[in-house]
Amino acid sequence: MKIYFQKKDFNISKELNNFSKKNKKVGSIISFVGKVRPFNNKKKIESMEIDCYKKMAIYQTKKIIDILISRGGVVDYQVIHRFGKLFPSENIILILVASKHRKEGFFFIEKLIKWFKSKITFWKKEFYLKSSTWLKSQK
Amino acid sequence: MKILYFARISEELGKNQEILVIKDKLKINDVINILKSKDEKYNLVFKKISNIKFAINCEYATKNDYITNNDELAIFPPVTGG
Repeated sequence: MKIYFQKKDFNISKELNNFSKKNKKVGSIISFVGKVRPFNNKKKIESMEIDCYKKMAIYQTKKIIDILISRGGVVDYQVIHRFGKLFPSENIILILVASKHRKEGFFFIEKLIKWFKSKITFWKKEFYLKSSTWLKSQK
Repeated sequence: MKILYFARISEELGKNQEILVIKDKLKINDVINILKSKDEKYNLVFKKISNIKFAINCEYATKNDYITNNDELAIFPPVTGG
């Protein structure tokens, strides 16, 4: 049950393997990876800057996770979200969830991502060849 | 109180935090009006307050919530993480 908000990249297979080894008695392990896309509305993305209010992001992430855990079924989770300067195809977010059945795992990931789009304090700015823009909330 | 700014708001103000001393508790809206009276830059940034989110000590708040000198106020645009 770990939350990391960090600048450095993560190794998806290493994180998934370690998480899987740690959770031998579950029926389901689901992973979600969010990446920097190469284009947005036909504009080529050169790079991305992610700003973060870390203290509040941790608080808000724990808050939704406590609610999701209280529903039952989820045994373990790991969340990594990066901030700072990123480039197309780089990893932004990794969510791993171990649960008794797949249904609770998919529900956990879907709800947590919705909170990252509505409550958890990260902001993305995309840089194009000749301009840049802070992304608007999609929810 | 400590005021924190993030993303577009921090960029437009040219700062990510500042200290504002208040004697009594105030509504967030009153704090915004104090900031707006400082100079035209604040006035422009806080013109469309409906596009701005607030948090007091990491908990989401509205412009009508009260804040004291010991609190941390964060001011930021809607989030876009994930």
